[in-house]
Amino acid sequence: MCLQNFSSQVIERHNKPEVEVGSSKELLLTPIIISRNEKERVLIESSINSIRVSIAVKQADEIEKILCHKFMRFMMLRAENFIILRRTPMQDYDISFLITNFHTEMMLKHKLVDFVIHFMEDIDKEISEMKLAVNARARICAEEFLKTF
Amino acid sequence: MSKNTLSAQFRRVDVDALDENNFNDADADSSTPVGPDISAATRNKAEALKTVLQNPPLANSKDVKDQVFTAVLKVLTSHRSSDIEKSIQGLSQQEIDTLVKYIYRGFAEAKDSSCATLLAWHEKATAAGGLGSIVRVLTSLKTV
Amino acid sequence: MPEVYHTVSSSVVCCAFNSDRSQLALCPNNEEVHIYVKKGASWSLSKVLKEHTEIINGIDWASESDKIVTCSSDRNAYVWKREGNDWKPTLVLLRMNRAATCVKWSPDENKFAVGCGAKLVSICYFEKENDWWVSKHIKKQINSTVLSVDWHPNNILLATGSCDFKCRIFSAYIKEIESKPSPTSWGSKMNFGACMHEFSNSGGGWVHSVSFSFDGKKVAWVGHDSSISVVDSERDNILLTVKSTYLPFASCTWISSNSIVSVGHDCVPYLFSIDGAGNLTFRDALDKKEKKQSENVFSALNKFRDLDRLGSTKSDRSNTSLNSIHQNAIKGVAIARGTKKDCAVFSTFGMDGKIIDWDLKSLEQSIAGLKIA
Repeated sequence: MCLQNFSSQVIERHNKPEVEVGSSKELLLTPIIISRNEKERVLIESSINSIRVSIAVKQADEIEKILCHKFMRFMMLRAENFIILRRTPMQDYDISFLITNFHTEMMLKHKLVDFVIHFMEDIDKEISEMKLAVNARARICAEEFLKTF
Repeated sequence: MSKNTLSAQFRRVDVDALDENNFNDADADSSTPVGPDISAATRNKAEALKTVLQNPPLANSKDVKDQVFTAVLKVLTSHRSSDIEKSIQGLSQQEIDTLVKYIYRGFAEAKDSSCATLLAWHEKATAAGGLGSIVRVLTSLKTV
Repeated sequence: MPEVYHTVSSSVVCCAFNSDRSQLALCPNNEEVHIYVKKGASWSLSKVLKEHTEIINGIDWASESDKIVTCSSDRNAYVWKREGNDWKPTLVLLRMNRAATCVKWSPDENKFAVGCGAKLVSICYFEKENDWWVSKHIKKQINSTVLSVDWHPNNILLATGSCDFKCRIFSAYIKEIESKPSPTSWGSKMNFGACMHEFSNSGGGWVHSVSFSFDGKKVAWVGHDSSISVVDSERDNILLTVKSTYLPFASCTWISSNSIVSVGHDCVPYLFSIDGAGNLTFRDALDKKEKKQSENVFSALNKFRDLDRLGSTKSDRSNTSLNSIHQNAIKGVAIARGTKKDCAVFSTFGMDGKIIDWDLKSLEQSIAGLKIA
């Protein structure tokens, strides 16, 4: 995550994350995809002053898809509090982080890396826990309802 | 009224892309090394690895790149985990860089079986090449 | 033992010392220039110069004529002249329409070079009739933002490193203020703006910093692909490159006729050298990261404290400091005492706000087997 301050060379007096603008080819680095299988992928795109990390989370069945979608939307609506979260995910991915040189100047680099890794580890755990909770609640509701018959 | 107003196609031309002052990929280094000799795969695993890493097809067409990549993947998966370290020790700095590039390409094309072997290779290769070889995968202009 | 000279609360983007190192000008990641004066063993803030409207990207202090030049993202540069205790700015007509990225006084201090995001380098000299600084542009062949500049000792040639992966040597001969230069090892025809040589950082990687050696016969640069390259004009301009195993370097400088110190995102200065046969090799890291001695006796207490405060038992999660002296990436390195031929002390400044002086003699003593030739 080697980022430095870089004023836009396309628009004067502007400082934009080059990975988002994507107008100058020489400022963008080769994107890297790391995938465990077809469903779980991480895309890392880098440039001279910013990095975009996009994660595709494992969604085995319908209910996991819905849970994941809701959970990600919940977080992205509150993206300002997360600081490095992007408000919308990239195409084909579920959630994206955008880290700029201003973030690395404000915060410690290795802590940012720890945060993203921690996040990825927890996501799978949270979604399975939520799925179990939903199933348990559904079962209890159904039992209570059918007791009346 | 002149006839030119019939077509408004010229309005859709992206002028910024045609700007002469822009950085042009074609101006970058365009040396074209030939792909490695795949048929010369030997029994010796370490030698096979070295041969297949020679002359990576950085500027060749996609088909050649795919062919070479499958050959490399075959060599990588046929290694036993104990042989990995020995093979890496025999590689030069540039060959380690090429190896790391292939490993990341392997990560991108998800295949269930290869993931674990690639991770083992990645660990050993980065121990030898350091963070610098990973940075070079990101910064290199040509992909393998 | 490297001396931590000074700590500022935010990252130091650029800094420059005056000739006797009693004063320091730096930019603390905003649009102001802070001037510090040495009082005894510590530094105190003496002046804040506010003229720029955006972050300042480069500061250089001319040692002989005591002038400071600053350049910023607001496309302007100012030359500050001392008047008593105050500094008076003079506007420089750069005529650039993008941010200025770096600035350097020439060895004779009659002109300076400013690198720009508009894919050009602006050479500025003083015009006496109108009492301002005017500029001439070098545009040829530059295809992207210029990241750094360095002058040849003959005051004419300029090396530039830019985002299009190339290091170029241009002639910045201004016939209004200087006499025709004599031929050098880089070539003899030196019209203004002529590109004498162009070297490519093979394999990609933006050229972050360039540096001419003391005699001007060699030029070194560092690229984003974690490599350092040297070209020797007396050896047929053969490119020598070392691809290192560390994070990319941000800056480099020659400290003797054969050794280069480079600094970067690894927070540690590294030493490279060229031997007699012309091979560039990595020598050593100049900051041995020593693990801070943790208080083993009270580790149980620390564990429960962490559990209470952070909700986790992993003690390395609460470790926020790195083992090196600099805690964040180093932005630049400069010779503090000595010249590029025989440097005695060099200083580094970084994103952690620290300015640290490294004494080469004591480094040689503390690191076994290190000999800086």
